[in-house]
Amino acid sequence: MLLRIIVWAILAFLLAPLLIIVLFSFHASPSLSFPFAGFSLRWYEELFGNAQLASAVIKSLTIALLTALVTLLLGATASLAWLRFGRAGRGMIEALTVTPIALPGLFVGVSLLVLFAQSGTQLSTATIVIAHVVIAIPILIVAMKARLALFDPSLEEAARDLGASQMQTFARVTLPLIAPTLIASSILAFAVSFDEFVVTSFVAGTETTLPMYIWSMMRRTVTPLVNAISTLALFFSIAILVASWLIGQARRRSAIAGRLEQLEPLP
Amino acid sequence: MSLTRTRTGTLLATPAILYMLVFFIVPSLILFAYSFWSSASYRIVPDFQFNNYLGSLASPVFWKVTFNAIRIGLFTATVTLILSILVGYYLVYVSRSQTILYLILITWFSSYLVRIYAWRTLLGTNGVLNTVLLQLGVIDHPVSAFLFSPFAVTITLVHIYLPFCILLVVSSLSEIKRDLIDAARDLGTSLIGAFFKVIAPNAANGLIGAFMLTFILVAGDYVTPQMLGGSSGQTTGLLIADQFRKTGNWPLGAAQAFLMFGISIVLYAFITALGRATGLIVKRRAKTEREI
Repeated sequence: MLLRIIVWAILAFLLAPLLIIVLFSFHASPSLSFPFAGFSLRWYEELFGNAQLASAVIKSLTIALLTALVTLLLGATASLAWLRFGRAGRGMIEALTVTPIALPGLFVGVSLLVLFAQSGTQLSTATIVIAHVVIAIPILIVAMKARLALFDPSLEEAARDLGASQMQTFARVTLPLIAPTLIASSILAFAVSFDEFVVTSFVAGTETTLPMYIWSMMRRTVTPLVNAISTLALFFSIAILVASWLIGQARRRSAIAGRLEQLEPLP
Repeated sequence: MSLTRTRTGTLLATPAILYMLVFFIVPSLILFAYSFWSSASYRIVPDFQFNNYLGSLASPVFWKVTFNAIRIGLFTATVTLILSILVGYYLVYVSRSQTILYLILITWFSSYLVRIYAWRTLLGTNGVLNTVLLQLGVIDHPVSAFLFSPFAVTITLVHIYLPFCILLVVSSLSEIKRDLIDAARDLGTSLIGAFFKVIAPNAANGLIGAFMLTFILVAGDYVTPQMLGGSSGQTTGLLIADQFRKTGNWPLGAAQAFLMFGISIVLYAFITALGRATGLIVKRRAKTEREI
């Protein structure tokens, strides 16, 4: 019982600061303190008239989408390879693809910066995407690993024994089994990219992503506009998370239902 | 069959492996090479000398900010781990509440900068904490020391890294069988005793892993100490980042990054040795179990 209270207190600690930001984003006065002077949408109105912000949001969405796509491609092939490898091969894939998660963004950021400087690569949207993929792949691999541990390779073997070609086995057996997790985790890659700040600040050059725009606002003054942007960013992250979870659930359910349907016509 | 399987596997693994080699391993190696280069009047010259390392090790400023980073890192990681164990224990052994898990995931995926900003708002002179305390009559004038203090830095860092640490702890506790704890409890061990005698030794590697990962991420986080610590928030991370942005002595920054890396490894070895000495880490019998 005591533990239960402590756990909920810890959750309150995690959630309260975020809720306060949401609350003050609707505050009618610029002050960031109580008493609360009533609700208003003025900060949101101000936001929607801001062209710089709009271009930062579009930039971030583009980068996040490209990051998710590249991560999906690399992650999907790596997962399929993982299924085919023994312990040593799996260990090698993991060592290479999971390590960046255990390093501060600073390290990944400066090492990519020296790579781009040394190879004479101009810093641009492309270099940001490259950097984001490096930190998104570990998350996808960790998520996939948990899922793939439950994968039964004998299903693939059965399909092959029954005469399915390698492509058919992949399209009708392997892919339907791993697709939900793959899609769900590439949505997480999207979320990671959309929010990334530290690595981006080293490889962005003159580009301004949404987190970098928020950073410049935070540094200049404490303006209530930041509350409104933060609230939108927060709800966007939650929406992505919910979407990722729903897709994972729905696909799994439809995959199971589809298989049941195929079974029914049998005598 | 097995041979073609492995060959297809190798083919499939190639894109991801190549990507990580080119954009993770090679950059790390270049950074390492840079740490031996020299910088003269804003130009970087290929070289092989140890002045970047020796100079940093002899610099009082480097040690001051590094001790600061280590102190912040150790303290934050300790608090984070204790809170994570409480939540993890609850999630694994008491209630497998999905709601709690999703609330934790939401905070993990809520924006990094937004959370820093939220704590600035909460702790500022005209912030929420001060106004509430004033109205309650606990204090008579706003306390400016909430913000720009080690306290502000620690509470924000705990807030940022707690969700991640909880997920790590949950996964390492999930591997321990409930029966072991039940048996200990049936034999008369208290809940806290069961934790130290059953859970800690079995999950020691996972828990130390969670601690070290949190420590490395916290000690390397320079944005939070900078935004909430003011002058007390100077850490090695900020020093390194500034070398790559302001002063432009990249080789020195590279050397300091690897020094920080080396210090983390030494700390890891030290903590593991400490765990062995105090008996918290017992040599695992996992191998014999597997053989049976």
